[in-house]
Amino acid sequence: MPGNLPRDYQLTAGEAQALEARAGRQEAGPQQMGFFTDSTLCIGCKACEVACKQWNQLPDDGFRLTAMSYDNTGHLGASTWRHVAFVEREERLPGQGSPRDGVEAGARAFGPLRPSGQPGTTSLLADQVDPSHIATPVALGPTERAMGKFSWLLLSDVCKHCERAGCLEACPTGAIIRTEFGSVYVQPDVCNGCGYCVSACPFGVVDRREDDGRAWKCTLCYDRLEGGMVPACAKACPTASIQFGPIDELRQRAARRVEQLHSRGVPEARLYGESAASQPGTAGLRAFFLICDEPEVYNLPPDPVVPTKKIADSWWAMAAGIAGLGLAAAGAVLSARRRMT
Amino acid sequence: MKPLMQPARTGDGRNVLPELGTLSGEGAQQRVTRLDAGHPEQRVAAGPEPVPAEAASYYGQPVLKEPVWRWYIPAYFYVGGVSGAAAVLGAAADLLGRDGTRALSRRCRLIAAGGAGASAALLIADLGRPSRFLNMLRVFRPTSPMNVGTWILSGFGAATAAAAGAALLPGGRGRDRAGDLAAAAAGLCGLGLTGYTGVLIANTAVPLWQGTRRALPVLFSSSGAAAAAALLELFPPGDRSELVVRRFGVLAQATELAMTAVLEAEAGVVPRVARPLRTGFSGTLWRAGQLLSLSSLALSLSARRPLRRIAGACGTAGAIALRFAIYQAGRRSARDPLATFEQQRRGHGAADVISRQPALDRALGEKGAEAPATSTLHEPGSAHP
Repeated sequence: MPGNLPRDYQLTAGEAQALEARAGRQEAGPQQMGFFTDSTLCIGCKACEVACKQWNQLPDDGFRLTAMSYDNTGHLGASTWRHVAFVEREERLPGQGSPRDGVEAGARAFGPLRPSGQPGTTSLLADQVDPSHIATPVALGPTERAMGKFSWLLLSDVCKHCERAGCLEACPTGAIIRTEFGSVYVQPDVCNGCGYCVSACPFGVVDRREDDGRAWKCTLCYDRLEGGMVPACAKACPTASIQFGPIDELRQRAARRVEQLHSRGVPEARLYGESAASQPGTAGLRAFFLICDEPEVYNLPPDPVVPTKKIADSWWAMAAGIAGLGLAAAGAVLSARRRMT
Repeated sequence: MKPLMQPARTGDGRNVLPELGTLSGEGAQQRVTRLDAGHPEQRVAAGPEPVPAEAASYYGQPVLKEPVWRWYIPAYFYVGGVSGAAAVLGAAADLLGRDGTRALSRRCRLIAAGGAGASAALLIADLGRPSRFLNMLRVFRPTSPMNVGTWILSGFGAATAAAAGAALLPGGRGRDRAGDLAAAAAGLCGLGLTGYTGVLIANTAVPLWQGTRRALPVLFSSSGAAAAAALLELFPPGDRSELVVRRFGVLAQATELAMTAVLEAEAGVVPRVARPLRTGFSGTLWRAGQLLSLSSLALSLSARRPLRRIAGACGTAGAIALRFAIYQAGRRSARDPLATFEQQRRGHGAADVISRQPALDRALGEKGAEAPATSTLHEPGSAHP
């Protein structure tokens, strides 16, 4: 098993606190909002994608097939601000598996609903039959065997609205700002399309649309928040996989959810980017995730870092380099002076 | 026909009929002439990097967005580097040289001023909204090397224009003094101009550029100097400054070559990140750049004029090839998900800055930050507890 998970930062409570303090959450107002996307609840319906396109009046993606499972959206981009990833794995996920598991779960769920005083059940399952002995009417053969070792991982990806955002820190025009809700927002009337944010984002979220010339990304539905409404994707999500709310509350809820999943036999459940302590490179994400496998599987970087965190190295190297250049120029002129006069 | 009966096809992928709905959403102003494809736009002439089946990735899709810049930007890296280094050499000749370097200083001022103009043109042409180029000067933002660079280039442009003007226009002593002052200012800005482009591309998530953040600025400034010397070998100023150009060029070119090796070593810490420098078109371009620079260095040691001209041509071609190779290789590494994953798994994501932070905490005087067990942090290959 590969080590070095983002969660491997073995920080003491004091260090974690220091990181949080540096991230500035303590001073933040009560209005700090965010997303908690729980991938275990996602059913891959793409209602979030549709709602986002509809509310924000974004153009469609051209209705092309990508040959990547049921994911024909492909990636987050200038006109795609929610993207449901469909990960197909040849592995069982606890609580999900062969079709028979579904039958068993159905029998358990509907057993108590049997109408009282009646000899039979309203269920198609005869009550005398132990669900684990149900034979499928037709042997499924290789398909069933294959399905026994098959599972989906679904995740609705979105701009992470990082606490320290690479795009915001790189933007040379000040077009990218942090709103009063703590989200990161590109002002389309200021952006001049230099494309620097595109390369500075460690998650590959923001993109420049070539025919438009400007950079675009999720706004956390800034207009809806201003009107006191929930972002379109969270509103449309039918399974509460996308949860929107005050960031502190979401973090508590996420921690409880992980505990719940662990106790229910899903030890793989983990949070991605929920705090500065677990993802120091970005000082934590405003839109964080609950995932059930390595981040790479979902196309999430395992240890992302805002490029600006490392850039002091580069400025120092440059200082040394240009000092050398200045000296070389002066030396060349001085050393040749005697010969010229 | 009633509006509701019309097929709602407007061609912009939104299908909102103006009679029935208004376009006022956050994305409504996005101009659309061609609909998006399902895959990230491929902006580099190279196939996808091979992803081994056992490596975890999302269908081999890129994690990052490829840099959107066109050929203008690597071309600017060359032009800006040449004009910046020319201004530095010109200022040195003005301040320290005696009468023997008049023609050199004049030539340098003209190269610097012409380069500054060409740089601005290249940069503006690459913007998605060129008419808004002045927005770059709306703010001063030290966290953005592009913003810092725009200020440097602006100052450089003004100073070189003044210096070149003083060299071209007739005038007296006062004009000469003002020209020298402008040339000195241009030299200072020129120093920044040769190096900041390396910082600019290092300040990205592109694995190759981020991974070589220490070598890039030094390579860029030495390569700028080498390119300026090569240009002066090609078009010699024709006074007694030949020796100045030659010594400056040899020094710069030797540094440039050494820095290409340093950069390869810095990238090679994570083999997957260094891959684009070793394989494919970008790898060939990189090697070609090195070879051209090496041959230029060898030829420029000769005293014979025709050979020195060839050296100048080789040096110019080499400097251009190196910029384009760095650019092309960076794009390829951005397209390769495994470059990002491997770099971060080997402890070169956030881990290599975080492990240095205890010292920072102490420096900031933050209480509660005890010495952490950073020795166990992100050790490659170690099983996590």
